[in-house]
Amino acid sequence: MALLKVEDLVMYYRTRKGTVKAVDHVSFEIEKGETLAIVGESGCGKSSLSRAIIRLLPRNVETYEGKVFLNGTNIMELSEERFRKEVRWRKISMVFQGALNALNPVLKVGEQVAEPLVIHMGMGKKEALKEAREMIKQVGIAEAFVDRYPFELSGGMRQRIVIAMALITDPDLVILDEPTSALDVITQANVMNLLKRLKKERDLTYIFITHDIALASELADKMATMYAGQIIELADSESYFGKPLHPYTQKLLGSVPTLREDKEIAPIPGTPPNLLNPPVGCRFRPRCDQAMEICEKEPPMFSLDGHRVKCWLYRGEE
Amino acid sequence: MPPVVKVLVKRALILFVIVLIATYITILVANVGGYIDDLKKKEIEFQVAQAVQNNPQYKDLSPAEKTALIKKLAQVEIKRQGLDQPFIIRSFRYLWDAITLDLGRAEKMTSDSGSRSVRIIILERLPQTILLFTTATVINFFIGLFGGLSLSRKFGSFLDKLVIYLSPTSAIPGWFYGIFLIMIFYTWLHVLPPGGLVDYPPPPDPVGYVLSVLKHMILPLLSWVVSSFFIGIYSNRTFFLLYSTEDYVEVAKAKGLPPRQIERRYILRPALPPIITQFAFAVVFSWSGAIITETVFNWPGLGLAYYQAINLVDVPVIVGITVVFGYLIAATVFILEILYGLVDPRIKAGMGEAL
Repeated sequence: MALLKVEDLVMYYRTRKGTVKAVDHVSFEIEKGETLAIVGESGCGKSSLSRAIIRLLPRNVETYEGKVFLNGTNIMELSEERFRKEVRWRKISMVFQGALNALNPVLKVGEQVAEPLVIHMGMGKKEALKEAREMIKQVGIAEAFVDRYPFELSGGMRQRIVIAMALITDPDLVILDEPTSALDVITQANVMNLLKRLKKERDLTYIFITHDIALASELADKMATMYAGQIIELADSESYFGKPLHPYTQKLLGSVPTLREDKEIAPIPGTPPNLLNPPVGCRFRPRCDQAMEICEKEPPMFSLDGHRVKCWLYRGEE
Repeated sequence: MPPVVKVLVKRALILFVIVLIATYITILVANVGGYIDDLKKKEIEFQVAQAVQNNPQYKDLSPAEKTALIKKLAQVEIKRQGLDQPFIIRSFRYLWDAITLDLGRAEKMTSDSGSRSVRIIILERLPQTILLFTTATVINFFIGLFGGLSLSRKFGSFLDKLVIYLSPTSAIPGWFYGIFLIMIFYTWLHVLPPGGLVDYPPPPDPVGYVLSVLKHMILPLLSWVVSSFFIGIYSNRTFFLLYSTEDYVEVAKAKGLPPRQIERRYILRPALPPIITQFAFAVVFSWSGAIITETVFNWPGLGLAYYQAINLVDVPVIVGITVVFGYLIAATVFILEILYGLVDPRIKAGMGEAL
């Protein structure tokens, strides 16, 4: 049984200009110990997807439906209170994008790391702080920093604190939402190494959300491409990087320089579609150089030996 | 000396200099840059002339002698009052008296008990002002704070919209609502007194006295509460909405904190410095009373005294009230500096590193 199985997840929100289809019928699953990396351009709905899984909805949410099975239970059916008590941080925790602002400026970092233990595990404050101290050591920060405030820490240290906070309750699934985007390259590498080490040591399951394909390749067992609120390609890393199927994924990989081969860097023409009013049919059609007549109809997910792709080019090959 | 103490001493000195400057400017303005002195000299000459004319002792003097005498006596009186010195020198003497809180005697006003001492004029009025307006301010503050906080949770709801639409009702000042309240509760329903501090004659026993004062407080209090009800909630709601869009609030939510704890630790705590500031200044300003509300409700407060002093150009009273408020505001700012350091670790660190 998959650890997490998402089926037809939908999250639309209302704006003055109309409905934004941020997450539009997304399905995927993750096994325990696996890392799924979801890549896509800015504004393709990756962050909305991660928030939809942990039910952090914007105030102006319009539609929120679908099924999310965690260890076989559909957590979409839980009441708000049960979801808060049983799922949030106990089962699914999250490392937020822009961690510099993810910590409360007026609480000591130790308290913030220990907080979930007090709420969810019924621990006393002292005991929880002891655990937090241990966890903070594990992410490579000196114990003494438990009593510091976030502004006394560097960006990289704060990100490590945020990671410690995400792991303190030993959750089944950790969502990493652009965990290194606000950091400089060296710190980024350190944090990535930390994430890799923790994954190995603790057999963690990650959903890694990023716009950086190179970073994704470091951590991912499975890769997914997200485009205009939909997942358009989903495959094992090997197959995904070795033989990308969707024209968009191909172009995405082609737009990133690599060390090992000498290749022409080709930018993707056009701009990402507006989620208010996405193109009819295949959403990549306006930017795709292989577009056909049938692309005006929305393609289903085709599966080629487990490599799934939402593109009409593969209609006969299933 | 620890750095924090150094910073605080420095701040205290700066605040004192500001009070000094503000008081001096008030002295200049209240004296119309010395013009008031010319008026006073003329007044003295007039009074002396009258006295000489009416004094039978000087009946036999020739007009020239009388004029000379009047001039001489007037000079003596002017000298006695220190008006012969240039204004600029005297202005600094006034400043010294004001800053050392030697508030002197009123020129025209008297206190309710008949004293001319500026200190007594102020102290007699201050308790009533605090009783009414500070109470109103505190009530309004907490209505705004908790109303705003709970409304920010219901963003976009019917209640939220209703409060937004009703907030312009606060453009009408409290005393205006006061007139309506008097019409309803006194003229029409006859249940509450239209104004004043206490029944006449005042109840002899203390309990009866307090109850009577409370009864007289209801309408003026209500007028202020009604007047700032919606704008208070609306502005606090917007303030909390801003603070609740911070990333760490979302993190707290993801962590599964109960809503009450998110509100307390992740919204209220970081927002504490501006809230304390708002509260402290609202309280200080409430001490100055409110001229029109005091007039409408015939409430013997400081606002009315200030208004009378301005009308009578009673310089010592104007300067006295100003300097007392200067000190009060400076003290508030100083206490706030310390409180900020206590509630916000970032500011505390800044104070430690400032020198």
